[in-house]
Amino acid sequence: MFKNYIKIAWRTLLKNKLSSMINIIGLSIGISACMAILIFVRYEATFDKHHSKAEKIYRVVQHNKLPDQTLYWDITPYPLAEALRNDFPEIETVTQTMGPIGQEFTINNGQELKIYEEPRVLFVDTFFPKIFDFQWVLGDPETALEDINSIVLTEDMAKKYFEVSNEDFDEVLGKTILLNGKDPLLVSGIIKNLPGNSNQNFSMLIPYGFFKAQNPDHALNWSGNHQGTTYVVLPNTGLEKSLESKLASWKKKYLKPEEDGRISFMLQPLTDVHNETAYGNSPGGYIMPFNILYTLTIVAMFILIIAIVNFANLLTAQSTMRSKEVGIRKVLGGKRLDLIVQFIFENSLVILGSLVLSVAGLNFLLEQLNINLMVINMQLELGLGHIGLIFIVGLLTIILAAVYPAVVLSAFKPIRALTNKIQFSEVGGINVRQSLVAFQFVIVQLFVIATIIVSLQMDYFKSEPMGFSSDAIVMTTVPNFEKLDVYKQTLLENSTISNMTMASGPPMAVDGLQLGTRFRLPKQPPEEALDAEIKVGDPNYVEFYGLELLAGRSFTTNKEAFDEFIVNETLLTSLGWSPQEAIGKKIEINEGQATIVGVVKDFHNNSFQRDITPCIIMNWAYFQNQAFIKIGNNHTDAIAKIQEVWENTFTGSVYHLKFLNDSIENEYLLEKLIFKGFTILSLIAISIGCLGLIGLTSFMVSRRNKEIGIRKVLGASILQIFFIFSKEFTSLIITAFVIAAPLVYYFSNLWLENFAYRIELSAWMFLSGGCLTLIVAMITCSFQSLKSALANPVNALRDE
Amino acid sequence: MLLKLNNIFKWVTTGGQRIFLLKDINLEVQEGEFISVMGPSGSGKSTLLNVIGMLDTFDEGEYNFLDESVHTLKEKHRSNLYKEYIGFVFQSYHLLDELTVQENLEMPLLYKKYKGSERKAMVADMLDRFNIVGKKDLFPAQLSGGQQQLVGVARALIGKPKLILADEPTGNLNSQQSEEIMQLFQKLNKEDGVTIIQVTHSEMNAAYGSRIINLLDGRKI
Ligand SMILES: Nc1ncnc2c1ncn2[C@@H]1O[C@H](COP(=O)(O)OP(=O)(O)O)[C@@H](O)[C@H]1O
Ligand SMILES: [Mg+2]
Repeated sequence: MFKNYIKIAWRTLLKNKLSSMINIIGLSIGISACMAILIFVRYEATFDKHHSKAEKIYRVVQHNKLPDQTLYWDITPYPLAEALRNDFPEIETVTQTMGPIGQEFTINNGQELKIYEEPRVLFVDTFFPKIFDFQWVLGDPETALEDINSIVLTEDMAKKYFEVSNEDFDEVLGKTILLNGKDPLLVSGIIKNLPGNSNQNFSMLIPYGFFKAQNPDHALNWSGNHQGTTYVVLPNTGLEKSLESKLASWKKKYLKPEEDGRISFMLQPLTDVHNETAYGNSPGGYIMPFNILYTLTIVAMFILIIAIVNFANLLTAQSTMRSKEVGIRKVLGGKRLDLIVQFIFENSLVILGSLVLSVAGLNFLLEQLNINLMVINMQLELGLGHIGLIFIVGLLTIILAAVYPAVVLSAFKPIRALTNKIQFSEVGGINVRQSLVAFQFVIVQLFVIATIIVSLQMDYFKSEPMGFSSDAIVMTTVPNFEKLDVYKQTLLENSTISNMTMASGPPMAVDGLQLGTRFRLPKQPPEEALDAEIKVGDPNYVEFYGLELLAGRSFTTNKEAFDEFIVNETLLTSLGWSPQEAIGKKIEINEGQATIVGVVKDFHNNSFQRDITPCIIMNWAYFQNQAFIKIGNNHTDAIAKIQEVWENTFTGSVYHLKFLNDSIENEYLLEKLIFKGFTILSLIAISIGCLGLIGLTSFMVSRRNKEIGIRKVLGASILQIFFIFSKEFTSLIITAFVIAAPLVYYFSNLWLENFAYRIELSAWMFLSGGCLTLIVAMITCSFQSLKSALANPVNALRDE
Repeated sequence: MLLKLNNIFKWVTTGGQRIFLLKDINLEVQEGEFISVMGPSGSGKSTLLNVIGMLDTFDEGEYNFLDESVHTLKEKHRSNLYKEYIGFVFQSYHLLDELTVQENLEMPLLYKKYKGSERKAMVADMLDRFNIVGKKDLFPAQLSGGQQQLVGVARALIGKPKLILADEPTGNLNSQQSEEIMQLFQKLNKEDGVTIIQVTHSEMNAAYGSRIINLLDGRKI
């Protein structure tokens, strides 16, 4: 019997190649997209959960209550760890880290000195390896970090620095690496590369003791600048609240009274670190907020449900073509159960095909995600468990999508089935189908319009004037201040380089090149000081970036003790001065006092997410550690020249060159990811939605087969018949648009509020999304409706 | 006696009005008869055949088939009854397009729990008897109408039914093909004693039968 079923199933599949393909591909797009999203969500929600103590580890965070706002910090004073260890015996372990930060390393491989810059160096105390589980390839986690002049490398680093393969790691142990050109560190351990979903994203570990020895003042200072990250391990979960309240009364022992009032120490579960937004991301890391994960989970479920519903729909539509077979089989002795079994079996074969394709599709999607999200070190993998889950989904699909059409179909009365009197209303109302497709197109249009809006905002970032010029400007670091003049002179001799300026950073704060301070009038008390950004620039800075002077002048010199400020309009607003009034006035900042000699028109000193803030440019001879170079049209020549001059001037350092525009673009990384995400989701939604539409059209076409035949016999043109179908789904998509548009309006407004500078929403953005969907839908349906319109009417009418 | 219809009525109700499809039909069929049903289009011939074949129900009257009273039987028993004793031949053949001739013949046997070897033998026997061994691996679309109907008759016979119901079996065939099918029916009736009830429009075909029933507006005349 089953042989017979397989035969029929196989031949039916082959006979309806197109619709079989649509079925199989449609379902597998749905399953693999849903799975890919769920795997992504799981990956993002399980950061650091692989540590055996994960549930008992807490990060100590600081809440800093200022009069106007509360600041949430993920860093704590350096001495906190030691104090906790001494005063709270109930805490199992306390550990402290500093970083990750960038460091420069030198290797002597016998022939030459090689210099590397490593951005993710973490200083950790000896408790660190006891709390977090790393896979140690070589070295003893208990002792590897005891000697302060030691260093632990990840496998990748060991390979990169010592050019060895896996088997030869032994050779690396005990070798020396020079830190920042002067401190020799002995390799004391090698650990396996870290998984991508870890907040501990370092590439090397150096003992915290080394950092303490180098920075004795910082290490003992409870206030002032600090960058320590403190973790505690509690004996059990659920003890954090009581510890928090003990800390509240304990901290006055170490903090200054005014800080004791402002600052409170809280405990954040390690497993929340990656998903809670308040504390921001640690250097080199990123945060994936809980609500994005929830939303994605819902989207994934929607995608799956819609794909299954579409599949069931298409299958039911196609099954009705088999009513004749049902009739024959019943007349020849087939019982209803036989037919149910046969059709379930057949549909299950199709589902099985989809599942196999889903595994391949999922693998592809995960690879794409890893490639596209390289910036966040995404490492998604297809596991055996995922394949198992796909098959569970398949089983679910069989129950939901294969049983239904089989039951419907098998119930046909043989006579009616044989005389083709089966109405399509008998296999599920056309209204239900229409609403389902309309609902899908609500989602399609949500994504399409949202994608359009996000892309327009992205475009706005690029095209909106920033108030300074950024084109053809590259930046290099200046590692050695004494050689600055030589560097500058040599470069400017070159014809491809037209202008240069030395500064602490470009006008817009990019790559973290931002210095903060607080400013006030000399007569005001320090508490009344307001936040401002400072930029150190040479006399050429204002002219180089094309900043517009509203009053006063540029600097004439840089001084060891600065005495001149150029400020922006926003700073003046808080003081109530006009540009002219401001000239000659003195203001006081944390670093000292100086006279305002110029006022510049506001430029975007922050990326477009944030407002323009008060900004002070000062004529200081320090902190000018960036060289900005304007290059001519022939980029490649100029860049080669810069590298040559740089490497000749600053021997022994690592050369870096960046285009200012690239760095500015990097400030919109998250938005770029969102844009990518929306584009992918739009494509998935469109393809699934179109499959739903194909299902609906095949219903409409077969339902109206006879009507079309009669119309044609009576002289209707192909175009007129095509129009009959187009009318049906056009109204469907318009309905969907009417529902989707206000939703997108609401949510995109919410999103745009993240940006101080943003596009205005207008009707055409929505309409173009709607039109685009309509066109895609039109093309999708045209195939089937044209086929029906072109068909010989005799065929449609003969079956009576 | 094979079957007996007593005062059979069948109607549909549209707009509160009863439209009779069959009106007071009385009919007795003996085993071994060859009956032709005639009448203008829409007179209820197919309806009558479907009622006899138990594919369709009726609203009033009694129907006895081999000592079973069909009107009191449950759906399930009814279908068991017709599966065992009745073979159907259709005007448009109704072969399964996805199956070969051989597979089409085998199909009804699959629902009757014959063993594989038995099925093979029965199919081979039928192919032989109808002279279509050479066509056994062809699909219906590769056969002429006459050949398809031959397969249709063979399929109806393979389950060894007592009664064959044929609704315009030659309606789609040319006169030569029609004649072959009619001669086949005659032979089955004479040599194998199979009872046959056929619907036909042609006097010539009707002449092969032993008795003619005329219908007009659902009534026997
Ligand atoms: N289910 C039904 N509902 C309404 N009318 C029907 C139904 N089945 C058949 N009829 C009508 O009953 C009449 C007899 O049909 P039928 O038995 O097919 O005629 P014949 O086979 O003699 O041409 C026709 O007028 C047909 O339209
Ligand atoms: Mg008829």
